[in-house]
Amino acid sequence: MTSPLVDIRGLEKRFDLSGSFLEQITFKGGRFQRKQEAVHAINGVDLQVQKGEALCVVGESGCGKSTVARTVMGLLSPSAGEVHYGGQRIDNLKGGDVLPYRRKMQMIFQNPYASLNPRMTIQQTLEEPIHFHRPELARSEVREKVQEVMQSVGIDPEWGSRFGHEFSGGQRQRIAIARALAVDPEFIVADEPISALDVSIQAQVLNLLMEAQETRNLTYLFITHDLAVVEHFGTRVAVMYLGRVCELAETKTLFAEPRHPYTQALLSAIPRLEDDRPNYIRLQGEVPTPVNLPSGCVFHGRCPYANERCRQEIPRLIVTDGGSQVACHAVEEGRL
Amino acid sequence: MTTATLSRWNRFRESFLWYSFKRDKVAIVSSIVLLLMVFAAVFAPLFAPTDPYDLAQIDIMNSELPPVGMSGADAAFPLGTDAQGRDMLSTILYGTRVSLLIGFGAVVLQAALGILFGLLAGYLGGRVDSILMRIADVQLSFSTLMVAIIVGAVFKASFGNLMFGEIAIYMLIFIIGVAEWPQIARTVRASVLAEKKKEYVDAAKVMGFRTNRIMFRHILPNTLSPIFVIATVQIANAIISEAALSFLGLGMPETQPSLGSLIKSGFDYIQSGSWWITLIPGLVLVVLVLVINLLGDWLRDVMNPRLYKG
Amino acid sequence: MKSDTPLLEVKNLDVRFAVRGGDLTALRGISFSLDKGERLGLVGESGAGKSVAAFSILNLIARPGYIAGGQILFEGEDLAAMSERELRKIRGNRIAMIFQDPMMTLNPVLSIGTQMVEAIKAHRRIGTKAAREIAVGKLRKVQIPSPEKRLDQYPHELSGGMRQRVIIAIALLLDPEIIVADEPTTALDVTIQAEIMALLLDLCEQENVALMLITHDLGVVSQVTQRMLVMYSGRIIEQGPTREIINDAQHPYTQGLINALPQMGEPGARLFQIPGSMPSLKNVPSGCPFHPRCDFATDQCRQTMPEYVRSGNVDVACYEVSNLIEQEKRMQEAGS
Repeated sequence: MTSPLVDIRGLEKRFDLSGSFLEQITFKGGRFQRKQEAVHAINGVDLQVQKGEALCVVGESGCGKSTVARTVMGLLSPSAGEVHYGGQRIDNLKGGDVLPYRRKMQMIFQNPYASLNPRMTIQQTLEEPIHFHRPELARSEVREKVQEVMQSVGIDPEWGSRFGHEFSGGQRQRIAIARALAVDPEFIVADEPISALDVSIQAQVLNLLMEAQETRNLTYLFITHDLAVVEHFGTRVAVMYLGRVCELAETKTLFAEPRHPYTQALLSAIPRLEDDRPNYIRLQGEVPTPVNLPSGCVFHGRCPYANERCRQEIPRLIVTDGGSQVACHAVEEGRL
Repeated sequence: MTTATLSRWNRFRESFLWYSFKRDKVAIVSSIVLLLMVFAAVFAPLFAPTDPYDLAQIDIMNSELPPVGMSGADAAFPLGTDAQGRDMLSTILYGTRVSLLIGFGAVVLQAALGILFGLLAGYLGGRVDSILMRIADVQLSFSTLMVAIIVGAVFKASFGNLMFGEIAIYMLIFIIGVAEWPQIARTVRASVLAEKKKEYVDAAKVMGFRTNRIMFRHILPNTLSPIFVIATVQIANAIISEAALSFLGLGMPETQPSLGSLIKSGFDYIQSGSWWITLIPGLVLVVLVLVINLLGDWLRDVMNPRLYKG
Repeated sequence: MKSDTPLLEVKNLDVRFAVRGGDLTALRGISFSLDKGERLGLVGESGAGKSVAAFSILNLIARPGYIAGGQILFEGEDLAAMSERELRKIRGNRIAMIFQDPMMTLNPVLSIGTQMVEAIKAHRRIGTKAAREIAVGKLRKVQIPSPEKRLDQYPHELSGGMRQRVIIAIALLLDPEIIVADEPTTALDVTIQAEIMALLLDLCEQENVALMLITHDLGVVSQVTQRMLVMYSGRIIEQGPTREIINDAQHPYTQGLINALPQMGEPGARLFQIPGSMPSLKNVPSGCPFHPRCDFATDQCRQTMPEYVRSGNVDVACYEVSNLIEQEKRMQEAGS
């Protein structure tokens, strides 16, 4: 196996909730106590993105999938762990050292209504990154480049002098994609890029992303909550729950034979057109808060197969005979 | 999808701003009055019958003449004259010019300081934010007048009356500008905090743009609407502050009258029946401040993001 | 049991919005009916007018919107012509509404119990104690654990799924005949969505309540509803039994909507896509509003809005479909 393009190792991210030192002090039971609280958004995630693939990260809100995306892109710095790109560690780079990676790695955001600067025309939005990263290009070359990306995402280059708010949601997302493509990246993190769009527009944008992948040889880290999209789009899928990866498999394998009890429940909950009633695996309880993580397997409180070992020992990802990697004691022990 | 490019003017004509302006009578009247006053004040030398700065044109024998329409009035002085025999119309025109200059100047200074500190505090957050905002709190807990009285008194004592007269206008701009910047800094900080959560800022970071570029090129233009609203109101406030200071004798000297010092100069003669020296500049001041505030109110309503989604 | 007059009948409803530069037509000639205990899905993308339709049923259109024509007959009485006082007796009492965002219904500074008791007392002369008992009963019905305790909690103390359950309990408080649910699960995760939908379906069946479900999710519609309407640009373009439409949609737009779903496509292949996007209300195309995006558009489509034709049990407004039906008729006549 070739070395991965992006290698995420033991990634952890905590968000401090307790504020400054003074705010942490509480007076309880006759004595002062220092109380520190944090949201444990990611708790030890290892993922490798291979060149040319679309690795999808799925999970429900609060599972840490967006935090993974933002940490990989350097918008957040990890609390622990490393992010490597093409063999080079990038999460600790400073100042100008990051710039080459900014060109190679780009991001597409969820909300097309917020991701375009309302005070800039489309032309300005698209020209700025090119000017910035390739100052050697002449004006006319930059303009040509902008025309080329606009055409490739299906936006008429004539509309360059318009502002973002003059476009529909789908068109704005196309422009946001064009901005990412303008600097010729190799790797794109797409954070829920279609979930704010209408059904018929989702298909257009998904097709556009697949087309760009083929023509530009892109690698995707695709964050979504929509499993139906994953089934269609992903090469491999990582299912996350409470900041951990619970199952990682080839898309076909995962959908044909989900192993982790959480993956099974998640898959059963997709509303399918052929269903006449909602039929799904019902989980007990609710997702615990990431402030106080459960001991052992984070899923044990809701899992129908949980036993004493699950409550105490954190399961590790193990390779099953089907080829998928599952973090579950029940699967490991053959109970499931 | 008619024409791809709209000129700036057409864009403005189709904008919500212009639309609501056309429908708001108060805004139209206020802006006409304000424009007339600004125009008359800026071109005061063209309109004023006499030049109040030119001592040669002043005749002490013409002092305290009442406005036209009253017994003893002189047609050459439509609004009467003051105690030194200066034509009131001319003095008011020149005085409005000084008041407006101080108002605009102070707000430009406020905006420069406020925008810079507000952007830094809001965008960088953390310790920078705490320090800048504490300074702002301290600054706000002194009243503008108190600061001005102290600074003015120090200036006056150290430069002497003559010299003071020459630098008074800059001193007033400086005092009012420095005393009021926290108002703008707070507004800017609040909108920066809202803007920096938006994804276009993340997109700019992902592009690798430097902090300065993100702050000034990406975030600042999106915080301009609230700055615009508050700056309008602050002009009115600055003009009032100037008038108050001049009235207390800490502002413009009588030889370079502003509206405030005109009111003050007439105040001593009210008892002797020469009410116009105080009342007419006072009315001008009230009208000026009122129309600016009315325009500010209208702007705030129009630019309210809950009503208008840009 | 099916009576002759439906519970709710909307006839030729027109809703307009008065804005600068003239009126915008948000709904044009909407007609449909809802029987007792029937579950009706209202499907469309954003801007299709489905939420406006839902709000107008309760005559809740806020200015600048207004009902410009047509009738909304609830048990034979026209809601469109009713006074605000009479309407208040029906809203929340006989027709209840569930919104997408629970916080639109719940007041964050009042406890759940207070809000529920208030809602009951607004319509019934009843003591606080009795009202609380009803509230507890309804909370139990929506499977909220320890309902007595929940009454004293505030909305922010509940999770998203719990909140939506409370909203359903509030909707059920006065035993309404119709529940109008506007995207009740859009803000929720898939597993919770499945639970809430199953709950809503069970409750409607048990209590024989009619449900009008507004959603963009065809999967949910097929799981929950018996009949469905498809809306486009303020018009109903297709209506009929859900299963029949899902399996064999007649209108090109409905077909496109279904085929654009990732679950319909071959994994990895391009999705079917409808070109363009829904027109804004400001410039609705002449004739059939879908014609600029339609592969079958003819001059006839560009000029006049098609009438409804019946195909099987489905009513469709499309010239292509009506032409096909006529052709078939002619062939049959020729054959016999």
